[in-house]
Amino acid sequence: MIRVLKLEFYKIRRKKIGLMLLLLLAAEMMWAFMSTSVSISRNPDQAVWASILFTTSSLNGLFMPMMTAIVVSRLCDMEHKGSTWKLLGALDVSRGRLYAAKYGCAAVLLLLVAALQAMLMTAFGLTQGFTDKFPVEWMVRYIAGTTLVSLAAASVQQWISMTVRNQAFALCLGMLGSFVGLTGALFPEAVRQWLIWAHYLELGPVTLRYADAVGSFAAQSWSPGVAAFAAGTALVCFIFGSLHAGRKEL
Amino acid sequence: MIRCFSAEWLKMRHSRIGIVLAVLPGLSLLIGCANYALNRDVLVNGWYSLWTQVSLFYGEFFLPMLVAIVCAYVCRLEHMNRNWNMTLTAPVPAGGVFAAKWAVVALLILFAQTLFMLLYWAAGLLLRMPGPFPAETIGWALRGWYACLSISALQLSLSIRIRSFAVPVGFSLAAVLAGLGLYVAGVGVFFPHSLLTTGMHVLNQDPLAPGQETLFWIMNPAYALLLAGWSIRGLRRRDVATA
Repeated sequence: MIRVLKLEFYKIRRKKIGLMLLLLLAAEMMWAFMSTSVSISRNPDQAVWASILFTTSSLNGLFMPMMTAIVVSRLCDMEHKGSTWKLLGALDVSRGRLYAAKYGCAAVLLLLVAALQAMLMTAFGLTQGFTDKFPVEWMVRYIAGTTLVSLAAASVQQWISMTVRNQAFALCLGMLGSFVGLTGALFPEAVRQWLIWAHYLELGPVTLRYADAVGSFAAQSWSPGVAAFAAGTALVCFIFGSLHAGRKEL
Repeated sequence: MIRCFSAEWLKMRHSRIGIVLAVLPGLSLLIGCANYALNRDVLVNGWYSLWTQVSLFYGEFFLPMLVAIVCAYVCRLEHMNRNWNMTLTAPVPAGGVFAAKWAVVALLILFAQTLFMLLYWAAGLLLRMPGPFPAETIGWALRGWYACLSISALQLSLSIRIRSFAVPVGFSLAAVLAGLGLYVAGVGVFFPHSLLTTGMHVLNQDPLAPGQETLFWIMNPAYALLLAGWSIRGLRRRDVATA
């Protein structure tokens, strides 16, 4: 399995996926930093770790679904465009393993994105001189929550990208995911809980609570229900996607 | 040119791109209307308040992304099975190939804008908006389409050069943010994506100042021609990567 995963990384070594992710990450983090800096300049009480964690978590709703769609689409589209599915199918590796290797490759890249975000937030906090103690637990939870939701989104994306040759649909789904992530807070709770892309904020370590029309940051406990739903979605979509892609005629 | 356009149009048969073109404006409108209905006490400017809600996400994020998807789509067939070789050896000029693709994108985006406006009108009637339908919103939608011409020239340039379907769409997301930043900084006329925000009156419904109005009408074709020229030059001179 490790060998197949290594080969996936070998295949993308000149695809500049990392560069694309860095570009989008730079755009997102610049937005987050500028927004937080403006908040701090208006209200110095906002110079706390919670502010940058909350802003980045909320922006992830817009960016991460699209980044996930791009990564997964890129991994699958190179096989579609190169007409290499038959070549891969003729190898002594099961299609399930190939599917898992692509998913693993996407998962590693998305985990790296979340970790890089945490590092950039740390650097930002240190340069801004945030007054409270560095929240190690929050950072770990941020990485775990972001990666978990991205993994669920990636499993849906991979199913589409693998089985539908035309990547317009996969990218369209990514865009719809971004839309849901961006507007997630507007949906009623009963609807929102079923939309995987709206969970970036819910699995984040910080939330915004309103009292008398004034918002203040508050610690948010880990929601086992949301986490289980995300993990369940990832698992179910991965299994069904793998079975569907495995049985599809090349 | 007509032959190039016919060939491009022929390639769109059975493509189901119409689903993508219909779903994104429809969903943006649905969310915008829901938000308007929930905040009707605060949004008291009738049709114009509804416009702020429905056009915000659509004009700011999803229309440029839709343009990117459509542009990547019209180049998709050429990137497969070494078809660029066939296209560029056909007895038509490279400019004709580019112009035909551009015209198809423009037509498809015009369809999306028309659908968006029809849905906006229908939503206004369903929500029992007071007063008549504001005719200037049709002008705003057309200006949005006009601004999309320069965005599509940019996206087509990227999609012709980059084999991947997803990468130009990713660039579009980054460009959307850059455009938003430049618009907020007051230098929106210097970037195609900010021109869309300006033209569609997404963030500000006040009429443009005469100077801004002139710049809007001049900058769009300037960008479009510059980018089209860059693309056509690339098609004529650059070797086609087919591997």
